[in-house]
Amino acid sequence: MSQIDETEAHPTVMENSTDEYRFQSFDPDTQMLLKTALKDPSSVDLEKVSNIIVDQSLKDQVFSKEAGRICYTIVQAEAKQSDGNVFRRNLLNRLQREFKDREDMRARSIHEWVCYVTFICNIFDYLKVNNMPMVALVHPVYDCMMRLAQPDALKNEEEVDCLVLQLHRIGEQLEKANSQRMDQLFFLLRDGFLLQEGLTSMTRLLLLEILEFRAGGWMLSSTANKYYYSEISD
Amino acid sequence: MSTRTPDRRTDATSSRREHTRSGPSRWSHCRKRGVDGSMRTDEHERTDEHERTEGRHSSFTTPESSGPVSRCAASSDWGSQVEDNEMRRDLHRDLQRYRRRILAADGPHRERKASSGSSGSCDSKEEESLETDEGVLLRRQKQISYGKNTLAYDRYIREVPKHLRQPGIHPKTPNKFRKYSRRSWDQQIKLWRVKLHAWDPPTDNGTQEDNEEQLDLGDIMDIELDFPTLAEPGPQAAHAGVMEDPEGTGTPVKVQRMDAAAASDVV
Repeated sequence: MSQIDETEAHPTVMENSTDEYRFQSFDPDTQMLLKTALKDPSSVDLEKVSNIIVDQSLKDQVFSKEAGRICYTIVQAEAKQSDGNVFRRNLLNRLQREFKDREDMRARSIHEWVCYVTFICNIFDYLKVNNMPMVALVHPVYDCMMRLAQPDALKNEEEVDCLVLQLHRIGEQLEKANSQRMDQLFFLLRDGFLLQEGLTSMTRLLLLEILEFRAGGWMLSSTANKYYYSEISD
Repeated sequence: MSTRTPDRRTDATSSRREHTRSGPSRWSHCRKRGVDGSMRTDEHERTDEHERTEGRHSSFTTPESSGPVSRCAASSDWGSQVEDNEMRRDLHRDLQRYRRRILAADGPHRERKASSGSSGSCDSKEEESLETDEGVLLRRQKQISYGKNTLAYDRYIREVPKHLRQPGIHPKTPNKFRKYSRRSWDQQIKLWRVKLHAWDPPTDNGTQEDNEEQLDLGDIMDIELDFPTLAEPGPQAAHAGVMEDPEGTGTPVKVQRMDAAAASDVV
């Protein structure tokens, strides 16, 4: 009863309008903090907020796909409200620290590593500066992609999955930023596909698809699309 | 076949020098934002932030650093890289805008090409004396941003709208696109900053406190301080100067690089 009153009295109440950001995985206090950060960034501890977001992204792959959007909103809100960059700076520097330790992270937990890559690619995709991707992230993202294309990583479907998914999302932008490294990446992927033993058929399928995808200018021809994505009929 | 060795770039990345961000300086109580960019509240400023070590910002990645690092040094942390990049783009955009403005103003004066020698308006000369060096513009922009990032500036722009500004009395932001010598520019900035101090927020005891500690220009950039040393008690800093407050309140303003000891001697 009271819930209905709330939404009617305040149409912009946090309750529903920010549901799209999927804050359910957080405890109520944290949810409140995040929601406030979206609307009134200078009133919260933005360093803390950025850490919360990163921490969760490293645990929850679904969230790490969404987090880019949340971060973008906070960055914009802060810039508009106080011309500040605190959140963005904290976020990036935290990302950088994790990046430095990524090999340890991967050794500790493939899942966390995959979440990290998903997250950093998401940030690359969403946090544009003057509508251009952040140059500072180009090489680190490539480094992550290259790592995923290594033989030991190709053995894990989790990592291959992450690799191809991210390339679908940001491959074109990445290539525009640095085509040479994209070429190098795809040398590895071709080698892996052709020569590496012990890859699952799913992995080989994913690799073949991404090879065709890029060859087609970051899209699939209709026939290829049919091959990979249609339901097998009769 | 052959497995590729780990990307060489990762080694290069890890060996790159970290940019350090130290804690707040003792002169930071008039700044709107801390060095980490977060907004300061009035209460926040009263504590002796210089002593705080546990309050170090988490992006402070080189614990053994001895103190403030010049921001002109290459920053390898992503936050700074992105900001610098953004600043560069903004600068280019500003430059284009400024160019258009000059050219627009230049048009109507074309016919008045009177005698050789300077015409009344300087506009046609603006294009030639345009500063376009990116490094210079970046440095100047940082100096300006630093000055604008003060409570004094905030209060000033709220108090005195642009159309009510009187030249000479009200501080005016130096024009970063004009060609000046390094010394001339640094001096303009200094004078501008000093003038802005007239709008510093009053302290608890009602007086404008410790003006001599507010200018930490040496903190972040290499401004040449070559003011003649006027009569002052026990100068200990290598470079020190005393300037009268241009607003005529009589409070002497001292420009120091460092040395709290000398500061306590000043009236």
